[in-house]
Amino acid sequence: MDHENDFVIEMLHITKEFPGIKANDDITLQLRRGEIHALLGENGAGKSTLMSVLFGLYQPEQGEIRKDGKPVKINNPNDATALHIGMVHQHFKLIEVFTVLDNIILGAEDTKLGFVQRKEARKKVEELSKRYGLAVDLDAKVENITVGMQQRVEILKMLYRDNEILIFDEPTAVLTPQEIVELMQIMKGLAREGKSILFISHKLNEIMEVSDRVSVLRKGRYIGTVNTKDTTAVELSRMMVGHDVQLVVDKAPAQPGETVLKVTDLHVASRLYKHDAVKGVSFEVRKGEIVCIAGIDGNGQSELVFGLSGLEKCTGGKIELGGVDITHAPIRKRSEAGVSHIPEDRHKHGLVLDFTLEQNMVLQAFEEPRFAHMGFIRFGEVRKYAERLIEEYDVRSGQGPITMARSMSGGNQQKAIIAREIDRDLPLLLAVQPTRGLDVGAIENIHKQIVAQRDEGKAVLLVSLELDEVMNLSDRILVMYEGEIVGELDPKETTVEELGLYMAGAKRQDRKKEARA
Amino acid sequence: MKKTSFFDKAGTRSVLASLVAILIGMLAGGVVILAVGLTNPALGLSGAWEGIRLVVGGLFATGRTASGQLTFGFNPASFGNMLFRAVPLIMTGLSVALGNKAGLFNIGAPGQYLAGTAASLYVALSVPTNVVPSWLVWFVALLAGMLAGALWGSIPGLLKAYLNINEVLACIMTNWISANLVTWIFDISNLKNMLEGTKSGYIYKTSTIMNDVIIDGVRQTVGAAVPEGAQVVATRGGVATGKMGLDQLFSGSQVNAGILVAILIAVVIYILLAKTTLGYQLKACGANRYAARYAGIQDRRNIVLTMALAGALAAAGGALYYLSGNTEFFWNTYQSLPGEGFNGIPVALLAINNPLGVVFSAVFMSMLQICGQKLTELTAYNEYITNVIIAVIVYLSAFMLVIKTWIGKLRSRKAVDK
Amino acid sequence: MPFLIRQTLVYAVPLMLVALAGVYAERSGIINLALEGIMIFGAFMGVLFVRFVQQWGWFEPAYVDKNYLSLQFFCFLAMLFAAAMGALFSLLLAFAAINLKADQTIGGTALNLLAPALVLFFIRLIANQNTLNMDHGDAASWFMLKKSMFGYGRKQEMGFLGSTFVDKVYVATYICILVFIIMAIILYKTRFGMRLRSCGENPQASASLGINVVGMRYAGTVISGALAGMGGFVYVLTTANCSANGDVAGFGFLALAVMIFGNWKPGNICGAALLFGLFKCIAASYSTLDINGDGVYMLKNLNINTNIYRMLPYVITLVVLAFTSKSSRAPKAEGIPYDPGKR
Repeated sequence: MDHENDFVIEMLHITKEFPGIKANDDITLQLRRGEIHALLGENGAGKSTLMSVLFGLYQPEQGEIRKDGKPVKINNPNDATALHIGMVHQHFKLIEVFTVLDNIILGAEDTKLGFVQRKEARKKVEELSKRYGLAVDLDAKVENITVGMQQRVEILKMLYRDNEILIFDEPTAVLTPQEIVELMQIMKGLAREGKSILFISHKLNEIMEVSDRVSVLRKGRYIGTVNTKDTTAVELSRMMVGHDVQLVVDKAPAQPGETVLKVTDLHVASRLYKHDAVKGVSFEVRKGEIVCIAGIDGNGQSELVFGLSGLEKCTGGKIELGGVDITHAPIRKRSEAGVSHIPEDRHKHGLVLDFTLEQNMVLQAFEEPRFAHMGFIRFGEVRKYAERLIEEYDVRSGQGPITMARSMSGGNQQKAIIAREIDRDLPLLLAVQPTRGLDVGAIENIHKQIVAQRDEGKAVLLVSLELDEVMNLSDRILVMYEGEIVGELDPKETTVEELGLYMAGAKRQDRKKEARA
Repeated sequence: MKKTSFFDKAGTRSVLASLVAILIGMLAGGVVILAVGLTNPALGLSGAWEGIRLVVGGLFATGRTASGQLTFGFNPASFGNMLFRAVPLIMTGLSVALGNKAGLFNIGAPGQYLAGTAASLYVALSVPTNVVPSWLVWFVALLAGMLAGALWGSIPGLLKAYLNINEVLACIMTNWISANLVTWIFDISNLKNMLEGTKSGYIYKTSTIMNDVIIDGVRQTVGAAVPEGAQVVATRGGVATGKMGLDQLFSGSQVNAGILVAILIAVVIYILLAKTTLGYQLKACGANRYAARYAGIQDRRNIVLTMALAGALAAAGGALYYLSGNTEFFWNTYQSLPGEGFNGIPVALLAINNPLGVVFSAVFMSMLQICGQKLTELTAYNEYITNVIIAVIVYLSAFMLVIKTWIGKLRSRKAVDK
Repeated sequence: MPFLIRQTLVYAVPLMLVALAGVYAERSGIINLALEGIMIFGAFMGVLFVRFVQQWGWFEPAYVDKNYLSLQFFCFLAMLFAAAMGALFSLLLAFAAINLKADQTIGGTALNLLAPALVLFFIRLIANQNTLNMDHGDAASWFMLKKSMFGYGRKQEMGFLGSTFVDKVYVATYICILVFIIMAIILYKTRFGMRLRSCGENPQASASLGINVVGMRYAGTVISGALAGMGGFVYVLTTANCSANGDVAGFGFLALAVMIFGNWKPGNICGAALLFGLFKCIAASYSTLDINGDGVYMLKNLNINTNIYRMLPYVITLVVLAFTSKSSRAPKAEGIPYDPGKR
């Protein structure tokens, strides 16, 4: 049998254009039956556009799609489902208030007289779950189960529909290292059973671990397809980025001065659940150092920052800024006392999208005497200030200060926020995932700015989910796991593997004991 | 070239969208009138034609000739009444517009309007004008009304800010509570109009002069004419908004300086929103509550403040309307809410929440009401058709954005054609 | 006591039906603020139907012969007509909210303004006054069950159950209860109901599973309109002697409050509606209320102002909302226009 050319799905010479940008430029992707095929590329390389084409959400200008060698037309997701193509989306497509079982059968229900027949469905799901080793609690509500189990529900959804082609879109972003290992096993098992898997990722080690072949995209172009066993991670990264990656940020050793931020036994309530999300965290940040909070998403990092910035009430403990207790101070007071904050969600917290750029630049400062006189805004001063920031921080926009924030690109929106926060020139900078969703150039620029702040003697507290960023940028690493700090590491002495163990809760230091000693 | 850029401006497009909404609303009213006319033999096509002419140009209707033809011309009474009736609409429109700017849908304007009406009437009719000059009573009554409205508006504001209760639902409930409360207050008051005998369910006009007198040791209230031998304890009433010559300009109408006060307040609100730090805060809260909170703006305080201000504005509408001295208030309101309150919504939406635009859209709305009145007077149709038109306009306002995009597309297609 | 229960049901049943109308719309993702307007419209259309059919004389023989079964059928037809018209009216909201992605709050408000305006415009044209009544006779003589129908004499007692649930009761009330139960089951046990609910929570997920979100939202809104229209007619039939005047005095909004209080769940809504029905009933008839049948009008003797009783349902709604707002869980995607491009 000609195993080499037994393709279940082929996307040939796909070209998709959006106004001003070629998202896919002559891309070819061929998936063999029973293989795990990785699709590698940076943010904006065109991976999600290609998948949207496969699912009929976009129609390509050129190219064709073949199933089992025959050309097919996919006009909407239903066509894709009919061809037995299924996908685990990066953001799960689950109904939170439904049970696991209802989520699995939704859209493919067996009915009698319109009534859903759950008994038969349950039997089928239980069989599938046993056969593929996908443990789930069928009667639990999705909102109450772990992220890992939610992902298993998504996989079961595909299997329940007898899908043959399974697409995993960045499936490991939300998982702990242990869950990732488990997922890899599951994927290998599925491939053994004859399912064909497309694995979208930009994490090289995972691709090396699990895939049979890799196709690489860069800036909308198809770079090539290689056999995993014939390549190395370094070669793949070169294919992905186009040049050797300078992964190390150029910075001098830190020269920490006196303590700026002192946090003692801090507790912050969770917005979603009844327990605390931050459970007794203590640490210090000194002048001239970058302290990084590492951890998997959802281990209390966001709440810790909310507690520090005043967006959420602290339920216990103490926050001191330059020796002043600000534990219960309102946001404005903290801001005046010296906290600047690059927020995690730039659309929710960072910007008023329907305000102009200049209005956003004075979001905190509009009441200061330099911008206001007797309650009236000094528009001329605001304009001058905004123009200076735009110039200094190279914020690009269509109409300068009067551009609507909504119409700016993500990178420039982030630059505007960073300009605003840095220019306030306050002793403490809280930066939460400052480079999320940005391209390499923008990331480099932002990293430089943060290091420059440190060298000017600011205390920087960085929260990041990207291990590379954590390792390269920080002077000290604090690892958070389930609301606690489980380890303090020196990036020069530790390894990514060790960091991973702490992040997964597999290893922890007894910091209290050490502090006493 | 310059003209194109004028039409491509967002502001121009918004105004155009509003005009389109008005046009479609009028069209819908016309269609209803036509359909009724055609199915009703008593009206017929000619009746429908009369109806349509009155809906569009009722403001200029002057009556009928001896032969039954409608006549049109400048009608000072209609013009004056249009301005008079625009006053409460400007105020409730400002109230809703302010709420919208701050991201709050103030459907509570009817209740706030009633609260303002009740408080100002109570003060105007209770403070003895033989002691306090009547202009001062007028002023205090207006302030009292606004204060009552502010208090009433802050209830849904507090519920929204601290308990996150949907302000729409809370406003609707406070509307009905207000309606019942006002009924109750006047029910047990001595301000019910008993002097003129035949009327029931009305409160005295504020211009009515009442004398509290003691006759034979018994205290009672009489009208302006004091019976002989009675000892006057206090004189109340006689409070009315100044006319400032407007009544001569528009003879036969109820117009007074209230319209000037309303326009002044609109200008103040415009400046507040566009030029001050307070306006900046309110708009920031309205556009993105989370970002405002992140920036240290006290979003909760601003929600309460906005609702209180909105309440004061709506209440001022009621106060200005009834302090005119020539309008009686029907106090048994518990079964229905004042239309002026709800009509603040279309006024604000048509004006795209611009306080100065509110003045124009309110005048337009009150013109529609005059048209409706003429329709009832002169034809077999009735004034409710104007409410239909207003409702259609509100309906269209709900997807103003879509209309704006249509206009944009129309423009670009024209540009391609050229 | 029988009177109190009977009257409570008279208010509670339309209330829970209209609250369920709200549930159908919101669970599909559309905020239906227009319940009040749809009730007004449905009430008007139902009364108009009764009036015309009376004029045509279709059921005149049955009325003369006291053929109660036929008359109940007549009433049922009027209910169906009101429901159909309510559904038709709600299409306006569906079109604006779904096709044009309009602001649902403003759209609903528009319908709340439109309904009384249209209704009063036509009532004035038809009846030359502000209230539209039946053509002749009254609601009680046409549609009400009476003990005489079951062979009881004027002085015979029907017993507690009989005098509570049979005598002086409208069958329409029971039909509403039945409709409520059926629609609640459909919402939870059928494929249609399950898919509809998913669209109010995560329409993007529903669409990814091949569910027609637009269709489901239309279905939710139209069913909502039908239930509210029926509820509106039954409300004026049982409380206003089958007459329409372009107003239901905030009853539709009360239903929204009941829906929120009931946490968007039919069972809880049932309880909430009974509670609110009781207060409405007390407000309407406290002065003649003889709770334990000893001839003493206890509530009247308390000497509390009428207005307090009238205010009570609204005040209680606010208080209840204040206490339940923290734990209530609205459908996640309600009020957000569905955009297939967004993932």
